[in-house]
Amino acid sequence: MSKKSRSKIWFLVHSWLALPIWFFVLIVCVTGTLAVLSQEIVWLANPSMRASQPTDDAPRLSYQQVIEAINKAEPLTVVQSISRPDGAHFALDVGVSYPDGRSVVVYVNPYSGVIQGVAPEFNFQAFTRALHGWWLVPFTNGYSWGWYLVSFLGLPLLASLVTGLVVYKRFWKGFFRPTLRFRHGARIFWGDFHRLSGIWSIWFIAVISITGTWFLIQALLFDNQISISTETNLPSMSREAVPLSADGTPPPRIDLDRAIAIAAQEIPGLEASFVSLPGNAYSHLEVGGRGWYPLMFQTAALNPYNGEVDALRLISDRSALEFVTESMRPLHTGDFGGIWIKLIWAFFGLLLSMMVLSGLLIWTKRTALATANAFRRNNKKSPMATRNELSEAGL
Amino acid sequence: MSNVTTIPCRSRLKALWHKWRFHLNILLLLIPLGFMPAYFADEAMERGDNGLGERDVGDIQVGPWSLRLAEMHDAAPTLDGLAGYMKEFNAALCDTCIGQVKATYLRIGKPRSLRTAGAIFSGSPYRMGTELPVPMKTPPDAELWITMEGWDGILHQASIPLRRASQATIAWLNAQGGKP
Repeated sequence: MSKKSRSKIWFLVHSWLALPIWFFVLIVCVTGTLAVLSQEIVWLANPSMRASQPTDDAPRLSYQQVIEAINKAEPLTVVQSISRPDGAHFALDVGVSYPDGRSVVVYVNPYSGVIQGVAPEFNFQAFTRALHGWWLVPFTNGYSWGWYLVSFLGLPLLASLVTGLVVYKRFWKGFFRPTLRFRHGARIFWGDFHRLSGIWSIWFIAVISITGTWFLIQALLFDNQISISTETNLPSMSREAVPLSADGTPPPRIDLDRAIAIAAQEIPGLEASFVSLPGNAYSHLEVGGRGWYPLMFQTAALNPYNGEVDALRLISDRSALEFVTESMRPLHTGDFGGIWIKLIWAFFGLLLSMMVLSGLLIWTKRTALATANAFRRNNKKSPMATRNELSEAGL
Repeated sequence: MSNVTTIPCRSRLKALWHKWRFHLNILLLLIPLGFMPAYFADEAMERGDNGLGERDVGDIQVGPWSLRLAEMHDAAPTLDGLAGYMKEFNAALCDTCIGQVKATYLRIGKPRSLRTAGAIFSGSPYRMGTELPVPMKTPPDAELWITMEGWDGILHQASIPLRRASQATIAWLNAQGGKP
């Protein structure tokens, strides 16, 4: 097979990869882009999620002060978790349980401890993530088949990147001589756009397709009961670890700030970004935050009665394999370094969505024809037809 | 002979594929639309908007204390990997016992000691949940035992027929041909 007809095949493979499910691929890209910014979108829409610093030097309340403020304002409300989103402009997310049995997230001002509102019933963040992540197909036994459906797209996306670079001859030249011709008709414009955004998105498409493929592998491993985790399940605390009280009242628990201080002794540089309160009398108090490597959390599980640290999960505890695999999710979502990284991810997510669209537009204008020609050539072996297609293979 | 019959058949398939291939998109988009009501119903259930669970079992007196029990889903136990079949129950402690009850456990069959009291409830006293293992060989007339432990170490127990706690589980056990 000649070099030219080989590149022709690569071109056809590239053209057909996302088809005929292009609209599905487009919606997955668009929902993914929305999911990256979902927290910010809710922040814009919902004033109670915002936290404005009253004065420039106003200090943030400690976790213990926050829980005390909530207990004072609503003595019957049970606080189950407190988490501080990345970014000073967000209110704290506090998971609470009400006497009527509802479990909700309330937004609490980190400077005053005031409960600013209850998270709306329609959870936009969770919805976009569920739509993008598993196409809303419920998880029943193991991973949902919607998860497989979406994560499988990582493979054609990776193949699109590779074949795209093969057919785009000397693509690196595009970095130095960017071409985007506006006045030569729609086909030329979309072709230029597809190539130009393609080369600048190489890193992003590689990240998204590799991490997406990892999600597929992750589901396959889990559903086949294969574990690569070095983390052991922390058993409940023993009966001896929980004090008995003669008068039948619950024994006092250590305060949250003390718990964080104890955890910080074990985890140097810990900036606690969440606290999970014990779920029952024998479970641990968990404290965690990002470490020096922003893609991973470090956590400590403490006995809430005496403050003993029963388990630690540090970055250094991860195996080399886990270091890679645990980095996959934050790399996919762009949720590891605040608003700027999210904006970069969302921008390239939008660009990727546009590439699906522009790819389709190019396809309707050219590939259908080229494929028909290729079939004709195979059937007739006519030199005329071959010449026609090869001129199109230049994309 | 075979060539004569397969070629038109194949080309008909090809024609069908050509005509309908882009309708795959519509099918794929119908999936989340179809699951959307179930998704929102599930979210509301998790949040507790529709009460303790899908099916209320009622108040159960356990010594001086009581709790309200509910099935999270009015459905058969679900397979949880190697752990076997699990059935989710939710419970709410009575208002006066919230400060006194240290832990609440659920088990099929009478526990011999506190060590084997069963699955512990987790969550807030207003709505806590547990996953009860249901062995496939459970007899349909089995009893569901509730053990409650006080902060001073005192124990109280009560039992109700499994049939009262979850009719769906009994139906499932019968379908498995569960024998004692």
